[in-house]
Amino acid sequence: MSDILTVDKLCKSYEKFRLDNVSFSLEKGKITGFIGRNGAGKTTTLKSLLNFVHPDSGEINFFGKNFSEAENEIKQKIGFVSGGMDCYIKSKLRTISTTTKRFYPEWDEKAYKKYLELFSLDESKTPSQLSAGMKVKYSLALALSHNAQLLILDEPTSGLDPVSRDELLDVFLELCSGGKTILFSTHITSDLDKCADNIIYIKNGRILAQDNMEHYTAGYRLLELDDEGAQILKDKLIGCKKSRHGWSALIKTMDCKDIPQAQPADLEDIMVHMEKEEE
Amino acid sequence: MKNMLYKEFRLAMHPTAFLFMALAVMMLIPNYPYYVTFFYMTLAIFFICLGGRENHDIFYTMTLPVAKSSVVSARFIMAVILEITQIILALPFAILRSTFKSVPPNQAGMDANAAMFGISFVLLGLFNFVFFTKYYKDPDKVGKAFAVSSIIYFAAMLIAEACSFAIPFVHEHIDNTLSADMPYRLVILAAGIVIYAVLTLVSYKKSVKSFCALDL
Repeated sequence: MSDILTVDKLCKSYEKFRLDNVSFSLEKGKITGFIGRNGAGKTTTLKSLLNFVHPDSGEINFFGKNFSEAENEIKQKIGFVSGGMDCYIKSKLRTISTTTKRFYPEWDEKAYKKYLELFSLDESKTPSQLSAGMKVKYSLALALSHNAQLLILDEPTSGLDPVSRDELLDVFLELCSGGKTILFSTHITSDLDKCADNIIYIKNGRILAQDNMEHYTAGYRLLELDDEGAQILKDKLIGCKKSRHGWSALIKTMDCKDIPQAQPADLEDIMVHMEKEEE
Repeated sequence: MKNMLYKEFRLAMHPTAFLFMALAVMMLIPNYPYYVTFFYMTLAIFFICLGGRENHDIFYTMTLPVAKSSVVSARFIMAVILEITQIILALPFAILRSTFKSVPPNQAGMDANAAMFGISFVLLGLFNFVFFTKYYKDPDKVGKAFAVSSIIYFAAMLIAEACSFAIPFVHEHIDNTLSADMPYRLVILAAGIVIYAVLTLVSYKKSVKSFCALDL
């Protein structure tokens, strides 16, 4: 792992929720999926990264520098996209861009024009006239034009149709091949199946896993079982739940060497059963 | 800060601020409680903060490479610029009003003289103190902050107007445009400016403290 972003023992307590010793780091030039069900702590974690929320304890370092000591310098190098541009939705994109670029000495006007063209964005429109996907693209265009090295995306594909989502994922892959690092928070795990290199899984405010995507999914298999099978394997099953043909459960790959019906599990299978395991 | 002010005036500014600023011309109304003129600018500041909430101004600003405290600083500077600009714009109209010798003095309240401007500074200082300290504790409750600060503004205004009737010295030496009483009025103007500066500064410090401690 490089020093693009390291989070160490981040804690934040609310009345009914607690981020509990959240620690992770990001690999340069990779897409890291940040997954968890609604309310698991994804947005609170991301907001803590940018000082929207004050952590009770813990350390956050971007590019090897402590955020609170080098906030301005760090913000020059990151772009935060939270579900698309919903700020100043009645102002023209040109006005928003003209204002935004003043804050970035490294603003690249040529790159900005390039992304406007690439994303088919019309500067005379307002965010309210853009589709949800185009709003995300505009936010990305702003972030990329100030040469952000790290893009923090909070559920950028929520509410998008499948085609728009796929288009955005292509954009993310393109950006990564150009050396950008992406932290991509979502609960739509199928998006990560398509593009993520690594995943961080948060559950009830705690990091359950941080791993390479393929390695992580290879660690589990999916089983469809009848009542008898479920009973025999019950100690090894994870998140056993009723399914159309009996029971569905995860099992660790190392525990199912002699079970031929075990199928590969994707991220959604793993998340659904992991969440079920607690209930 | 230059860029933050650009953002304030280019993105956050509410169009009614210009309209309300132009109400400085109300100094020409022969009989009017002139303190109300400056209340309109507090209404414009409220609209700017309300618009900011609807437009997610704080979120937008927080993603920019600026310190959290700059959000407060820029808004305060903007508010002070608007308030003082309106007062400066009102001055020539007040002077013009005082030259209308055929028109009797203001029957609806304090004459548009230096003391009235001094007390207006106090009222605006009170507004800044109450409104911003409440607003930056919870920017989503901007309406509540404005309601409380408006009540304070009007209560203070009524007290100021009542003094003209209740206190003979005010009635005889302050509420007029006589040259001989100018020193008294200038003292009130100077004191008003100082009170405005102190209240606004204290409000700014308290607002920065609350806002920086706030989880957004």
